[in-house]
Amino acid sequence: MMKTILAVDDSGSLRQMLSFSLKAAGYGVIEAVDGQDGLNKAKLQTVDLVLTDQNMPGMDGLTLIKALRALKNYKDVPILMLTTESGDDIKAMGRAAGANGWLVKPFDPARLTEVVKKLIG
Amino acid sequence: MATNDTPASELLNVQVVHLLSGVSAHGDQHLAEVERDLVQMDVLLDEAIKKLCASFMAIHHAVDQQQETLDGLLADGMPSPASAARFEALRDEIKQHVAAAVTGLQFQDMTSQLIGRMVQHLAGLRDVFGALDTNGSVLPESKKEVLLETLSHISDRVGACRTERAGGVRSTVNQRHMDSGDIELF
Repeated sequence: MMKTILAVDDSGSLRQMLSFSLKAAGYGVIEAVDGQDGLNKAKLQTVDLVLTDQNMPGMDGLTLIKALRALKNYKDVPILMLTTESGDDIKAMGRAAGANGWLVKPFDPARLTEVVKKLIG
Repeated sequence: MATNDTPASELLNVQVVHLLSGVSAHGDQHLAEVERDLVQMDVLLDEAIKKLCASFMAIHHAVDQQQETLDGLLADGMPSPASAARFEALRDEIKQHVAAAVTGLQFQDMTSQLIGRMVQHLAGLRDVFGALDTNGSVLPESKKEVLLETLSHISDRVGACRTERAGGVRSTVNQRHMDSGDIELF
């Protein structure tokens, strides 16, 4: 069965590149435009992995992760941050919130799918 | 003594008010121009990336179809080992170019964040220039105390601007190139 990934980013072009790369690797992709949209879509369908940006209008990535981790279905779902930020402090906050990994933008499709494959097969 | 002091104070007051109003008006005007250009640049970049992404997807789709056709020809015919190897090499080369394009096309996400940040800072500066404005008021009294009180109020307004904007500006983008970033699994 095809694994589904929720891609949350306020940049349309970034979502398009994410979707293109992940679909080419055989994954299904659900796109969300910000944290709140991501949370709403995650509640509608439990996905296999979440990829989220940090800086978004409204609900940011860290808040989304905390909200997802509070949901029963998302206790063990891998969540990756994909962001321009790379500081140790924000990474530590991400880890504390429940993120499983940190990817700094821009992403390389092969490296991204390699990480995703490692986490969900 | 008072008669000598009064004209100088009046002059000082007028000059200070004039200076503040001038700085406020010119600063606001220039910042408004810069802000308008930045927003325009963001709009152009947004449209450019949409067109680039659409072209990229179309090219990729066409190349995929071309590849399928070639695969069919190769399967039906008996291509020379050299031709088969060449097609295989081309397929790998195309994959590499596609991956590089996907990484490069992410520029708009970062430039848009930087432009958004600049616009936020410009808005902050415009608030400060607005706070400097005395609204063309002529100080009614010639005494220095009045000038000091006016300056104190302006200072308070500038301080309030700083407080209002603190924490509102998003983090900067530190990337200096478009190579793929680090990956860390926790």
